[in-house]
Amino acid sequence: MKAIAKYTWIAYTAARSNLAYAAEAMSRVVFMTVVLYIFMRLWAVVYAGAVTDQLAGLTHRKMLWYLVITEAIILSAPRVWAEVDQDVRTGRMAVQLIHPVSYVLAHFVMSMGERVVRFGINLAAGSIVALILAGPIRLTVSGLALFLVVLPLAFVLDFLGNFLVGLCAFWLESTTGLAVIYSRLVMLLGGVFLPIEIYPKGLQPVLRMLPFASMIYAPGRMFVEPHSGLLRETIIMQGGGLIVFATLVCVVQAVALRRLFSNGG
Amino acid sequence: MEGDVFKSLLDYLHLIAAYTRINVKAQLEYRGAFFSQVAAMFINDAAWVVFWTFFFTRFPVLHGWTLTDVMTLWAVVTAGFGIAFGVMGNAHQLAPAIAHGELDLWLSHPRAVLPHFLLGRSVPTAWGDAAFGYAIYFAFIRPDFGRMAMFILLSFIVAVAFVGLGVMAGSLGFYIGNASSLSEQWRFAVITFSTYPPTLFDGAVKLLLFTLIPAGFVSYVPVETLRSMSIWDLLMSVGGALAVLAAGAGMFYHGLRRYESGNLISING
Repeated sequence: MKAIAKYTWIAYTAARSNLAYAAEAMSRVVFMTVVLYIFMRLWAVVYAGAVTDQLAGLTHRKMLWYLVITEAIILSAPRVWAEVDQDVRTGRMAVQLIHPVSYVLAHFVMSMGERVVRFGINLAAGSIVALILAGPIRLTVSGLALFLVVLPLAFVLDFLGNFLVGLCAFWLESTTGLAVIYSRLVMLLGGVFLPIEIYPKGLQPVLRMLPFASMIYAPGRMFVEPHSGLLRETIIMQGGGLIVFATLVCVVQAVALRRLFSNGG
Repeated sequence: MEGDVFKSLLDYLHLIAAYTRINVKAQLEYRGAFFSQVAAMFINDAAWVVFWTFFFTRFPVLHGWTLTDVMTLWAVVTAGFGIAFGVMGNAHQLAPAIAHGELDLWLSHPRAVLPHFLLGRSVPTAWGDAAFGYAIYFAFIRPDFGRMAMFILLSFIVAVAFVGLGVMAGSLGFYIGNASSLSEQWRFAVITFSTYPPTLFDGAVKLLLFTLIPAGFVSYVPVETLRSMSIWDLLMSVGGALAVLAAGAGMFYHGLRRYESGNLISING
């Protein structure tokens, strides 16, 4: 009970401190607005030239709302890898390991606190843009409930992926390159701008098998077109992804900590 | 008189070459970090090209634009951006430098302040952009000799436009204090708009793309030049880039009169 209170407090502190940086939040909102406007134009042209009013099973309006969710997710990602990288490089990790909290769990709750605030701001801003540019879509309570089941698991998976990138600082001179590659994989294979159904047919089963789609595509799709089949498929993929990523984090951290040296002073 | 101008130009070209050599050498001290950043940017750009490949596989023509056109757009923008900030990377630091009163160091040198300041730093990832731009154009478009020469020329013209934009955005610091965030957003907006087909935009937005957000001069006109190979379009590209640079330099030197020293003591190592 005491441990839960401790980690909740860490998450709460991270969330509050994130609220203090209004300029940073504003810059994300501006960037998101620009991207949403451009993609609204892109899809407007595509839908105007299409013989059907639905592409990938989505109307033009739903496509824009799909983008709002995927953009809100991707732009809310905290730079976990950079913090872990710095902890390794500066030796701060050695100090944190002697604290009465788990290093991974502390970073996890901090990242979640930060992410929830960022996602909320992005979603609010994106919704305003979508309402102005495209108009509302019909949402149901059950649909939103399904969305809220897959969204937190998507955040957890992304945290583990980012954490793994940060741990590579034990071996690499800089993890910036790896972080860029990871973020591009999430963007491209996760379906940030294109729902998986738009990708070439032969590639779609592969993308659905990878964890990236369950981080981005699944929550986005669940928001605009919720159904139990997608929920089942997503839970299986997220569960598998969690096992693989969590195992990798444990193994890599165990190996990495053997390389950790601290100098007193 | 003409001899003096030529000598001065040659002198500045030597300065550019010397600074670029020193900046790259400094970055190569951390060889692993440098090459990983260059490779990461190359992969980042490639991810966008893969995205567009998927897009055009499903929707082959977008208001008259094909995959080849979008590849050309990306090649021109990334090559120009890479050259601009690989050589004059300090443009990204102009707004914070003004806010922190860090221009003092550059004011004390006998060289003209603006070009000297801009040359002070190289952005390592920019080299990845430049490499990507050239690689994608030569490997994907496979141009004939004329287009190859035109592309090389245009990549430098676009670089001029990007430097001008960087100076304009950074010079906001003279007028509104800490303009780092606004300056970054302005640059971001131009880069984002410049990597999408111009046929997506019309009306007031199109007007914006040739004025406040000069994406038209960093990508649309140069791409049209490569498509048409017309001298008129080339002149438009050159004129547009020089106009953006002149606007940037004008804003900088006008704003410099309002600059207040930070009383910082710094050593440029």
